[in-house]
Amino acid sequence: MAEPLVELVGISKSYGSMVAVAGLDLSIGKGEFVVLLGPSGSGKTTVLSMIGGFIDPDAGHVRIGGADVTLLPPAKRPTATVFQDYALFPHMSVRANVGFGLAMRKVPKAERTERAEDVLRLVGLEGFGARGIHQLSGGQRQRVALARAIAVNPAVLLLDEPLGALDLALRRQMQEELVRIQKRLGTTFVHVTHDQEEAMSIADMIVVMNRGVVEDMGAPTRIYRRPASLFAATFMGENNLLAGRVASVSGDAVTVETPLGRLAVAGRAESGASVHVAVRPEQLHPAATAPENAAPVGSARIQELVFQGTHWRARAVAGAGGEVALLLRLPPDMRLELGMALDLFARPEDMVLLTR
Amino acid sequence: MRLMRQLPAIVYMAAAFAFIFLPVVMLFQYSFQDGVLPVPPFKGFSLRWYAALFADRKLMSGMGSSVIVGLLSSAAATVLGFLAAYAMARRPPRRAKLVQFMLMAPISVSYLIIALGLLFSFNLVGIGKSLTAVGIGHVVINLPLCFAILYSQLGEHQANVERAAQDLGASDLQALLLITVPMLWPALLAAFFIAFTLSWDEFVIAFLLSKYDPTMPVVIWSMLRSGLSPKLNAAGTFVFAISVVLVIVVELLLARRRGHG
Repeated sequence: MAEPLVELVGISKSYGSMVAVAGLDLSIGKGEFVVLLGPSGSGKTTVLSMIGGFIDPDAGHVRIGGADVTLLPPAKRPTATVFQDYALFPHMSVRANVGFGLAMRKVPKAERTERAEDVLRLVGLEGFGARGIHQLSGGQRQRVALARAIAVNPAVLLLDEPLGALDLALRRQMQEELVRIQKRLGTTFVHVTHDQEEAMSIADMIVVMNRGVVEDMGAPTRIYRRPASLFAATFMGENNLLAGRVASVSGDAVTVETPLGRLAVAGRAESGASVHVAVRPEQLHPAATAPENAAPVGSARIQELVFQGTHWRARAVAGAGGEVALLLRLPPDMRLELGMALDLFARPEDMVLLTR
Repeated sequence: MRLMRQLPAIVYMAAAFAFIFLPVVMLFQYSFQDGVLPVPPFKGFSLRWYAALFADRKLMSGMGSSVIVGLLSSAAATVLGFLAAYAMARRPPRRAKLVQFMLMAPISVSYLIIALGLLFSFNLVGIGKSLTAVGIGHVVINLPLCFAILYSQLGEHQANVERAAQDLGASDLQALLLITVPMLWPALLAAFFIAFTLSWDEFVIAFLLSKYDPTMPVVIWSMLRSGLSPKLNAAGTFVFAISVVLVIVVELLLARRRGHG
């Protein structure tokens, strides 16, 4: 990882008896695009607000660029925030909105105007400077909010669910633009969202949060392929979870007794421990397309079929008494029908051992 | 058939509006009476009583007093109400609910009681019956309203906008003067005009706390004691018209604010 720019050390925050963040440690590298991902109430926005200085932690420290900023107000921190509701100044022009931070820093007007135009160009709003906020569409307002925060050249840009209010197509487009702008500026972005697809498509690093603690953090590919916890495995994309018990241990692999039989999986766990084995829908293969080293994981009967172009999405039941529900993604050229029985295969390296 | 079914409702509505507006309509109509008594029959249209109204020194000086008391007391109530609302919304004290209750309490006390209380208190501190005393009384009755109007405009979105300004380097004072006050300008004007309307035709406090320079409603009341005159109808119509105009202004200001969300 790049040198750490933002460091959170043991920060906690409670509201009455409700614990929002519980002793969280987090290190964010310079120039990274980090996404805090979690359901509502997971504490992700509280963490963002504590980096920005809007909420004081009950315990712990916030460091930015090596300096302890725990007690500093937002204005004194090298951060700028893009708010969920944009929080634009409706009585000012677009240019005055974007130049506000510079005006507060007593930058001369000519320079301010020039900088505002530069930043507006960067976010695709060239020539909008003289307009009023009420003349803009939702997507344009979002860009002004972004430009206003970028204009002060923050070391860390904080984005609080900035795309939540946009429709799907616009959201996808803004995701790409955010990544483009972030790479161009090299500024560290910390972005909060509950949308796991959004997180996967924009993040260098994802921090999966739940109930005030970090469940998992790392690159999107790693979290998707090798999630560290049961929560991370189900919150990031769809997954099949098989509850089981460790039957035997041999070095870095274990054999787990599951309703689908004995499965050999990489990972470490005590013999006899209760664990889960996770396997993604697209990694349960039918015999025809199974990779060479895939092992049989039993037979399943199809109960629901939806054709989605790139694949068949199927729900199936497996196990001796049909007690295990499975989600499958089968090749689009397969001939399938309801009630059909399929032998399924999976590669050991695609199965993930989850101990928590 | 449809008309038959709706008829009772229409009659009822007409009766209700007649009940509410007939007195005002009568007042208005007989202010144009071409005769010396503002009672039927209507003898013809004349503007002579309006000429008499504007020539009457007592009524004109009463109007001047009303305007001065209205402007100053409303300005004071608006500023104090705003400061209280800002404090309660942004830096709520301990027991905020209790403080808010105390701020709103005067609204439930009758003007007569407030006037009596002020009369005794002013006596103690040596403020005589005067326009100043009336003005203070009007601040007392209007402050809760101004507070309530402005407090309702300082919600979570407004707080976020102020947070954004502070995040970009604005001090508390800069955020207040550059962001909050300009954004709340329509609401501040609305609060001011509502306060002015209430002060403009308030009688009980003005009657009990004034002496040599009574306000317009008090002058009208004292002239009524010597009998009805179409001139008083003209005065009443004029007072009413000013109130109506101000209420319309307030509605427009608040509608603008709502439209901008």
